[in-house]
Amino acid sequence: MPAHGVCRRQTQKMIPALIKIGILIGGLMTAAAYFVLLERRMAAWIQDRIGPNRVGVPLSLFGFKDLALWGFGQPAADGLKFIFKEEYTPAHVDKRLYVIAPIVILAAALAIFAVIPFGSMLPPLDDFGIPTGGDPVQLVVAPGVDVGMIFVFALSSIAVYGVILGGWASNNKYSFLGGLRSSAQLIAYELPMGLGILGVVLAAGSLNLEKIMQAQVNGPWFAIAQPLGFLVFVIAAFAEAARLPFDLPEAEQELIGGYHTEYAGMKLLLFLVAEFLHMITASFLIVILFLGGWHFPWITGPADAEIGWLTAIIRLIVFNTKIFLVIVFFMMVRWSWPRFRYDQLMSLAWKIMLPLGLVNFVAVAVMQEARHALGSKAENLGWTLMVIVFSWGICIAAWVVAAWFNPLITDNRPRRMLATAEVDSQI
Amino acid sequence: MSGLLLAFLPDIQTICSCRSFWALLVGSVGLWLAMPQRIRYGNTIGGVLGIVALGLFASDWPKLFPWTDQAVFWLISAVTIIAAVATISSQSPVYCAIWFALSLLGTAGLFFFNGAEFLGVATVVVYAGAIVVTFLFVIMLASPAGHASYDRLSWGWFGRTASVFAAAAIVGILTMLLGTLKEQAIVKQREQTAATTVATLSKSHSTEPGRIAAKAAKPIKVFGSEDHMANLGKVLFSQHLISVEVAGTLLLAALVGAISIAIHGKRRLETRVEEALRQDAATAEARA
Repeated sequence: MPAHGVCRRQTQKMIPALIKIGILIGGLMTAAAYFVLLERRMAAWIQDRIGPNRVGVPLSLFGFKDLALWGFGQPAADGLKFIFKEEYTPAHVDKRLYVIAPIVILAAALAIFAVIPFGSMLPPLDDFGIPTGGDPVQLVVAPGVDVGMIFVFALSSIAVYGVILGGWASNNKYSFLGGLRSSAQLIAYELPMGLGILGVVLAAGSLNLEKIMQAQVNGPWFAIAQPLGFLVFVIAAFAEAARLPFDLPEAEQELIGGYHTEYAGMKLLLFLVAEFLHMITASFLIVILFLGGWHFPWITGPADAEIGWLTAIIRLIVFNTKIFLVIVFFMMVRWSWPRFRYDQLMSLAWKIMLPLGLVNFVAVAVMQEARHALGSKAENLGWTLMVIVFSWGICIAAWVVAAWFNPLITDNRPRRMLATAEVDSQI
Repeated sequence: MSGLLLAFLPDIQTICSCRSFWALLVGSVGLWLAMPQRIRYGNTIGGVLGIVALGLFASDWPKLFPWTDQAVFWLISAVTIIAAVATISSQSPVYCAIWFALSLLGTAGLFFFNGAEFLGVATVVVYAGAIVVTFLFVIMLASPAGHASYDRLSWGWFGRTASVFAAAAIVGILTMLLGTLKEQAIVKQREQTAATTVATLSKSHSTEPGRIAAKAAKPIKVFGSEDHMANLGKVLFSQHLISVEVAGTLLLAALVGAISIAIHGKRRLETRVEEALRQDAATAEARA
């Protein structure tokens, strides 16, 4: 009896988990493909072009007129092109690491989604023949992981391996430079990112992403309660995803293609998909940590009540709309900002982002301590408003101070003798 | 398992009948053969012996209950051990670092398997994510060709052999100690379950000692509980507060030291820029 019971309980856990993994991987891969199309269309829109709008359903194969469908067939065409391209491996590369690098980066990027919720929850599914034991289905592959946030951090630090190995195994100076730049950038921006997260974790009292979302249902969204942390986190997230103001690892004008210069065909596709997944992960984290997750005032219901199908679907729609909007924001920033220079990138990380993150962390700690000291008196609207005013004041003050003592200022006077001094300082 | 326990007694016969002992012996010979040296087919023979040793070792340990747990445990530990062996037996330092990272990931997996979520994740963040990446940086920049000059250095056969067998001895002693501890823990747990049963039986009569016994016998669940992280934080910052603070201060001192070494003897950038500009102006003036 006990053996049977344990096995059945394990199956009961396994089947929903496997279904969720299937949905997630299928959904993410498709989303990445279609976001490429969206990015190209947005680029065209911003640059006053039309963009790819021709590839639709090729009905002319069956003797009908082709359907254009606003270019919705473009991702399939791109994917097929990548798959059928020659899998060319240059002779001078380190073969094993050259193959492993794209696998590592994509596996790490996908494994992060084990703890990231992609919605709130569904009502029990027993009526549909899926054994969930009468509990609501949490829309996350591994529900209740108490270290969720650090898990995300750990796997994003594994992604560095893919980049650095890809750059080194290619045995090409440009690739190696790209790999080194990228890993230095990722390591540098992990600190401000961690500080941004720390404020949220302190306020929510948990590292569990689901609980962090619940804390924002009961209180204000953390983007409103901790604007400074939000700013620091968003900027660091751009750097971690290597999106345009920070896309030095593959700055075309300097490094050809950065660490994936020597890659072609399917392996290049793996790198590109992993990069897109990093951006999608960043958007998920921004929404979950700072923009309230599935919560929207008045329409999504309280956090701990029984959930019906209508509420579940509204929550899913709210959550995914927010993520979509953040991704659109990522894409708009790409065409609005010039790239940083490498020393500016590093100064920004260490001289601006890190102190601002620390200021935010201390401010949040002070507020939490005050709330504990006040006890039950702190559970009203007036207190919440005071917290918001205080944190916005801190945010503006810190921003002004950072701007006043601007360490990013560069001396652009004509220089001849300066060259040696500056080269020394770079080392 | 019983063989393992009995191996504590200085009895040649029981030692010879203990499978873990033979596993260690075969494993250390295999490891010695797999080390980078000039023996023909050394890697292959060493690998085969290592796999035999792993099999022998696995057969001597108690089985875990559902077969899925057993399979996952064996898979992760095999990956960890094989990666660890490959770390010391591969020739190229870059591959050594990669294998080391894999073995750390395996260790993290074992922590996860036992419910120590934080320890597992922290292992990945600190070791695989930070320290090994730094190693990798240094190795890649220092010896881009794959083989460093110190690879040609020979330590002779004695050092290699001695280190391999010393490692085997340490593993053997640890195995025996931990095996005994595990056995004791199992016995204790059995007693505890018995006590709980007695307590629940006597609870129906609602006697005071019965309730106390039930309270005492209830195991405190630290790992795998809902508030795993909160409990860990409470323990760290109450019972081990001084150690945490000392470790933090040590790291801060190391950080300050590293910065002071890095800027040692260098003037500030602004000063140098000003100086260079002044010199520049002076040269221009002299030329005029």
